[in-house]
This record gives sequence, structure tokens and C-alpha cells, in this order.
Amino acid sequence: MISVAVITGFLGSGKTTLLRRVLRDPRYADSAVIVNEFGEIPLDHELVAASKEILLSTSTGCLCCAVRSDLTATLLDLLHRREAGEVPPYARVLVETSGLADPAPILHALMTDKPVAATHRLDSVVTLVDALHGAATLARHPEAERQAMLADRILLTKPDLVLDTAPLVAQLRRLNATAPIETAMHGVVSPERLFAPGQHAADPAALAAWLTAAGHAARHSPGLACTAIEREAPLPALALTLWMQALAEHAGARLLRLKGLVRIAEAPERPAAIHAVQHVLHPPEWLEGWPSADRRSRIVLIGQGIPRHFPARLLAAIEAEVAEETARRAS
Amino acid sequence: MTPPELRALVADALALWGVAGRVAVDGDGVALTAPDGTPLRVLPAGRADHPVRWWLERPGQRRPCTSVLGLLRGLRNAVGAGEAEALRLRVALPEA
Repeated sequence: MISVAVITGFLGSGKTTLLRRVLRDPRYADSAVIVNEFGEIPLDHELVAASKEILLSTSTGCLCCAVRSDLTATLLDLLHRREAGEVPPYARVLVETSGLADPAPILHALMTDKPVAATHRLDSVVTLVDALHGAATLARHPEAERQAMLADRILLTKPDLVLDTAPLVAQLRRLNATAPIETAMHGVVSPERLFAPGQHAADPAALAAWLTAAGHAARHSPGLACTAIEREAPLPALALTLWMQALAEHAGARLLRLKGLVRIAEAPERPAAIHAVQHVLHPPEWLEGWPSADRRSRIVLIGQGIPRHFPARLLAAIEAEVAEETARRAS
Repeated sequence: MTPPELRALVADALALWGVAGRVAVDGDGVALTAPDGTPLRVLPAGRADHPVRWWLERPGQRRPCTSVLGLLRGLRNAVGAGEAEALRLRVALPEA
């Protein structure tokens, strides 16, 4: 039986950071990773990919909405390739859900799909909760509540951004009385504890009841939309700065998540990984090189009530002004 | 930015701020009406006006804006959508 761990958590809670950290541990090098992304441009798998792990990306939408046709097929396809010697003999599968996924249908499929259940064992569901935004996110998004309720283990991330995590811990306790709650800074946590076998004891019948009560396998908050920007030409650092600044300023809490790999004109060989969670912008992280042959800038935004074309239109306007100013100074 | 592009950006901004209103191309710029009925116009500034890039006009007042970011801030205030928290960012380039 192959061990499966599900890593879930709302947008920006630090799932990809945790995964990157875990995969750097040599003891977890024999892990296959399935990354599910919500959006038109799969990006997380580029951010995770740093070595030779088996890495698969699913991007048919949110995993919980297409779980039978996507996750179960992916797991079985991976298993067949393992048996055929096409991929290394991995010891476990780590599934990173999209930040908007309701874990219930995912767990239900893992435990009730006969071919999958006969070959895989769900060992743990780890839910990441952002210490800064967690309380508001739990209040606003039913997906986040479900992620906390179904966790075998809850990991509070970014604890350094708040003075006191006790109110959030109490809120989580009301949702999930049994899961151990611990904190992790920058994804630093013991993987053995996180992915210890046998943590998951939920039975399929309980999950089926849960699904019925939820009314639908995957009901997302109204108004959520994903916008993607792809571009060939490098972007001046100043234009990127002003754009992120304006987005955070005007979209505020409506900007749930921004993630991107950006080709900056001043350093085109080193992509800038950009992140924002609501109005909190993180400094760009300069990667050593492009993770694949695709060197286009790719930015994905998930927001609530943000007009679909606003981010791209704003970027175009800012870029034109920066180009004009640069040309004026040069003349 | 062409007038239709400016119109689309301003219309998106109004929608983002939750302000009802219609934006129309008006000459080189756009015209709209604030929820309190105040007519507003956004016009591109001429080269000679540098560093001003945009003019935000309301009856009896012409406000200069040096960037599209400044224009959005001014417009947000003019339509009564409240002031956003202004942020200052800097992208530090990687060391060579």
C-alpha cells in the first residue's frame, strides 16, 4: 500500500512553501507529488520543482470539483508507470490541493474508489492555516472551515506576523477538537510527525454524510474568480512594483492570492517569484534560474469581485508610463 | 493609453470599488458621473505639461496627476469610494 498525505489550506497559507521544504529533506526524496491548481496557468508545480522528484500537476480546475476524473486517474496512472519502471519506486504520494478545495470529496474518493483504495492508504490530512489572515478567512470562506474541520493535523503558518495566536487556536478548536495544532515558520516542521502513518481514521460513511450535508461536493464562495496574465516581454522592475502596489491598494482584501514567476527586464535570467495574500505583499524571491524552458512571465490572481481584466489593463497602463518615462530620460 | 482603453480601466476601477456609474469616451479622455451627480472627466495631459500625465476635472477644479496610480487615487476620492491605504514598495534587484 502506498501512503498518501493530503496537504490542504486556504489560498496563501503556505502549502507550496511547506512542500518545497519537505522535499529538500533526503528522507522524503522518494515522494511523488501531485499539485492541484485552480487557475488557467499551472504555476505551483514550477515553484515546487527544484529537484528530481516525480511531480505531476493537475489543472482541470479545483480538485474537489473533478476529483474522480482527475486525482484518482492521476494516482492510478502514476502507479502503472511505477510498476512499468517508467518512474522511480516512490514510497508515498503527497497531494497538494488548491487553496479553494473542499477536502471532503478528495478524501471520499481516496477511500471509496476501489482501485485507488486497494493500492493506496490515506495516512494524513494536514491543513495549513495562515496565522495572520486565518480568522477572517475562516469567517468568510466555507472552504477554509471545511479544510480545518477535516484535518488530522493543523499547522499554523506565519506565526511571526501576529502577537497572539490564541484566539485563532480557539476558533480552530471549535471546528476541530481533536487535531493537534502546531506552528511552523517558513515551512520548517518535522515531516515525520506531519506525515506519520495512521493518523487518518475517518470512515467513508461519515464522509459521505458530510458531503450530503454540504449539499454539493464543492461549493465555492460566490464571486471568486481566477485571472491569469502571461507575457513574453520582460517587465521593468519599477512597473512590477507599481502594479503590485496599486493592486494591493485598490483590491485590498478582495485580492485573496497572487502568485507569479516574472521575467524582470533588469535580471531576465533570474525569475522573480512573487506572492501576495490579501494586502500583504511578500518581497520577490529571486530564483537561481528558470524551472523550465518556459521563460514567459506568468501571474495568477485569485480574487473576489475583482473585474477580470482589471489587473492586465492596469499593468499595461503602468508599463506604458514607465516605458515613456524611461524613453524621456534617455533622450 | 487610447480613450477606449482608459474607459475600460476606469470602468473596471469603479466596479472594483463598488461604485455604480457609466463611463463614456469623451474626446481624448473619458467622462463619468459620480454617485452624488458630479460630472467628472479624465483627460491625458500634453507633453508640455510633464510631469503631469493626467487631468482629473470636476466643475471648477482641475487636479493634476503624475501617474495612473495618482489618477486612480484621485478618482477613487472623487467618486466617494473612500481612500485606500497607500502602499510603498520597492523590488530589490538580485545582486549581480
